[in-house]
Amino acid sequence: MNRLAAATAARGAATARRQRVTDLSAQGEPFLWALGGALAFGCVMIVGFLALVFWNGLVTFYPKPIAAVTLANGETIAGEPTRSERYKLSPELLAQLPPAAKAEVEADDGYAMRTLYRTGNFDIYNEDFRWVPAFNVAKVEYPTGIIFAERIEWGIFVGRIKALETGETRREAGSFTEAELRAAHEEARARWARIRHIEKNEIGAVNYRLDEERLRLRRVELSKGADSPAYAEAKARLEARQAELQARYDALATEAKALRAENEAQRIVLAEIGNQEKILPLSALVQFYEANDIGLFAKLGVYFSRWWKFLSDEPREANTEGGVLPAIFGTFAMTILLVVAVAPFGVVTALYLREYAKQGRMVAVVRISVNNLAGVPSIVYGVFGLGFFAYILGGSIDQLFFPERLPNPTFGTGGLLWASLTLALLTVPVVIVATEEALAAVPRSMREGSLACGASKWQTITRIVLPRAMPGIMTGIILAMARGAGEVAPLMLVGVVKLAPELPVDGFFPFIHLERSFMHLGFHIYDVGFQSRNSEAGKPMVFVTTMLLIGLIALMNASAILIRNRLRRKFAGSQF
Amino acid sequence: MSQAHTVRKYDEDLKELNNMLARMGGLAEAQLKTAVEAAVRRDTDLAAQTIENDDLIDELELQIDDMVVKLLALRQPMATDLREIISALKVSAEIERVADCATNIAKRAIRLNEHPSVKGVGSLPRLAEVSQQMVKDVLDAYIEHDVDKALDVWHRDEQLDALHTGLFRELLTYMLEDPRNITPCTHMLFISKNIERIGDHATNIAEMCHFLVHGGPMRESRSRGKLAQRAAAAKDDTGSGA
Amino acid sequence: MPAQAATANGGTIYHLKKGEQGSALDISDFCLWYGSSQALFDVTMAVERGLVTALIGPSGCGKSTLLRSLNRMNDLIDGLVISGNVTLDNRNIYDPRTDVIALRKRMGMVFQKPNPFPMSIYENVIYPLRVDGVRDKGVLEETAERALKGAALWEEAKDRLHESALGLSGGQQQRLCIARAIAGDPEVLLMDEPCSALDPIATARIEELIDELSGHYSIVIVTHNMQQAARVSDNTAFMYLGRLIEYGDTDSIFTNPKTEKTQDYVTGRFG
Repeated sequence: MNRLAAATAARGAATARRQRVTDLSAQGEPFLWALGGALAFGCVMIVGFLALVFWNGLVTFYPKPIAAVTLANGETIAGEPTRSERYKLSPELLAQLPPAAKAEVEADDGYAMRTLYRTGNFDIYNEDFRWVPAFNVAKVEYPTGIIFAERIEWGIFVGRIKALETGETRREAGSFTEAELRAAHEEARARWARIRHIEKNEIGAVNYRLDEERLRLRRVELSKGADSPAYAEAKARLEARQAELQARYDALATEAKALRAENEAQRIVLAEIGNQEKILPLSALVQFYEANDIGLFAKLGVYFSRWWKFLSDEPREANTEGGVLPAIFGTFAMTILLVVAVAPFGVVTALYLREYAKQGRMVAVVRISVNNLAGVPSIVYGVFGLGFFAYILGGSIDQLFFPERLPNPTFGTGGLLWASLTLALLTVPVVIVATEEALAAVPRSMREGSLACGASKWQTITRIVLPRAMPGIMTGIILAMARGAGEVAPLMLVGVVKLAPELPVDGFFPFIHLERSFMHLGFHIYDVGFQSRNSEAGKPMVFVTTMLLIGLIALMNASAILIRNRLRRKFAGSQF
Repeated sequence: MSQAHTVRKYDEDLKELNNMLARMGGLAEAQLKTAVEAAVRRDTDLAAQTIENDDLIDELELQIDDMVVKLLALRQPMATDLREIISALKVSAEIERVADCATNIAKRAIRLNEHPSVKGVGSLPRLAEVSQQMVKDVLDAYIEHDVDKALDVWHRDEQLDALHTGLFRELLTYMLEDPRNITPCTHMLFISKNIERIGDHATNIAEMCHFLVHGGPMRESRSRGKLAQRAAAAKDDTGSGA
Repeated sequence: MPAQAATANGGTIYHLKKGEQGSALDISDFCLWYGSSQALFDVTMAVERGLVTALIGPSGCGKSTLLRSLNRMNDLIDGLVISGNVTLDNRNIYDPRTDVIALRKRMGMVFQKPNPFPMSIYENVIYPLRVDGVRDKGVLEETAERALKGAALWEEAKDRLHESALGLSGGQQQRLCIARAIAGDPEVLLMDEPCSALDPIATARIEELIDELSGHYSIVIVTHNMQQAARVSDNTAFMYLGRLIEYGDTDSIFTNPKTEKTQDYVTGRFG
């Protein structure tokens, strides 16, 4: 009994001693704090970035009021206030200021505030934006009746509607109602859309058919010779067809011409704040509204209609205006093709490496090479894609299948197919590694169970291993998709263009044209942000497009994750 | 048995079992000795003492039973261990019966002492000694796992049976001589029979020893020998087996 | 049938109980190397048809290796070298021309840890038929019922045939694996410690099942549990360090073994 009591006492004392001298580093709390802090910092950065993009992107389309600013020298400027900043005046400018203003600026250490106004009317002023220093401002008003109009050409217009001209008749403002104006505008726009449809789709179809015939003739010429009877026959057919198509073309052109004449007849007279007039066809106005007079509901209407146009229209004015539909489509199509290419290729390679290849030096070397592929700069992939896929492969395809189009390259230049394949190469290491891990995670007991039932290795793989590894494989594909959808550098070399004349998908056989160039949201961001004439106007577009790209990739990832989750639920106990 | 069990307690338990058997055997031997002595020296107190001591042996048998049950439940014995434990159970029963026979002898001794001494009483010690020696030897053989020794004891039973038959004949003559001898001689007959029975129990223990060591019954079946013996005895004289 | 008198052959003592239909598998002079280390030394034994044969021995004695050699599951291991014969139906299964997949279809195997596939119970049971190319729905359903009844799982599973097999308890999963093993109507059933991952009640049911199955199938069972080996098997083979020490009828092995090593092992005097 004594021994027990003594032992207990001794143990108690030792514990107390130990507690006093327990090392901080042994407990690990500082490291926990450091890790938590790093994670928090990372989260803050991501959230901050997303917040910045989304805030800037979301407000861009919201209609702002238009201010009419009277300057000290009596001049009036009208425009949307975009942003204000504090700037330092140079001494020469300071010297030139009138005494009141000078005193103000000097009181502020030589700094002054200035506001950037979006005045529009590039065709009149030769500039879209104008800085107005605060000291130069006499009066700021928000007059009624000022409209903000988006035009097909020359950007936006800020000013008033003066009159409507129909043919020779001129009706001053006040003689027609808002509703009448809007109705006429709708009509004009409908005509314009019809003209566009005729020109783009119907005449486009006629041109396409003509081109087809011409190519058919050329093909016969190349294969049979210019003096063969087949050639003569083909030529005759061509000429007949040409006549047919020409007739159709003429009919369409006439229709278009008539419509255009109608549209030209409907004109609107606009006056900017300084009363300079500008006469435009009514159809040239895409959208207009009275900036200072509309209520919240109408503003929201404008906002959403702008969003809709952004998503469904084609770009205008060197990508600074209009919509990004081709870019959305291009990004989407390229990503789909990328997945279609990389998934089977990556999975089959990983299958072979893991299941069939004899594990040894050779396989280790291959695996290391595959992993190193992931470290190659993406622009190098672009060069490879251009050199190998486009010039060599594409060139050969052109020689074999499309000799009639030469010297214009069909596949021998960048296009949707080569771009997708290049990006597939870029992302294949991710898929291979993820697939290998997923295959290795399938427990041995399951494979043995299958083999013991008399299944062959291939049956075991297709029936047991692959389904079980599918969630992990999908993870790899999701990662590949996320990476590939965002890479821009290689695309610039292999098929993305600033402005694509047509979508890769249309109504003519084979319906998907893999040789066509396409537009890409990532490239669009670069182009709009840094290559456009109008950087101030481009900046908000950059944010909006970035927001859209992030949203698109998130959507694609979300759908893939949904599919994976469904698969994962089926195989309870999967680790991926 | 080459090595010890991986679980040491198992070995200790088996050893304990054997110790209890040895103790029980020793007590039974002593009982036999004192019972016969009480009959020969006409010592009634000694006989009473002997009868009382039987309780100790019964107690030991119960303890051995418990031990065997515990070992069977907990150790799941196999092969030699299984045989050893089962044999211990059976041997303890045999030893208990040996002690019961000794008690019967003591009881008869008390009754015998109520009568004057009979001549045949002198032959008893000889009979008892053979029986005692058999019991001692067979228990030694069992503890030492010595089959040859056990077999030797098994054969000695014949001798014991012969001695018993001889005493039986002698007592018969005394009873025929004088009718007043009948009661004491009958008591003596019972004493003799009990001693002979003890020999039989010793042969049972010998057979257990063989089973323990060799895993099967003795080739020479006891019953066969007995049957032949009885047939021979029936042919020889007119007495019926007691 | 009475046990044979003990015979000795190359160091092994034999006194097995012979089946009435001869032997299902004949193993002769079987040696196995993992790379350069030898795991089995000249094992010679006959697995009697229709009887249950247990393989016992301390860890690392080669009993699982021997079991897996019977359906060539050891082929999955790199660097394996074997010599000797294993004969099934007068044909050596280690002959280079043997169709390993066909061989495995004639043997069913049950593993230590139940390994049902992540499919429905029905799909699990008919898996051997599916990989064999059987498509007839009638045949498949009939086989599933027969196998599940044979594995004493039909009553519990018949209402949830198309639910996931992973929803069953451990004991039920193991019976499912047994059903899967017998679905293809194999000749020999190989069981590698089938009860070691199960609780006592599930274990008892599996033992009952083995009892029912013997007679139709020749069963070889590897087990650590000597009492189980004593309960379920007709013949027992004791192996030590890759050699077959004693192979005889179960009663003798556990009440009166003929070699000291076997005796030391079954009485717990080992190590």
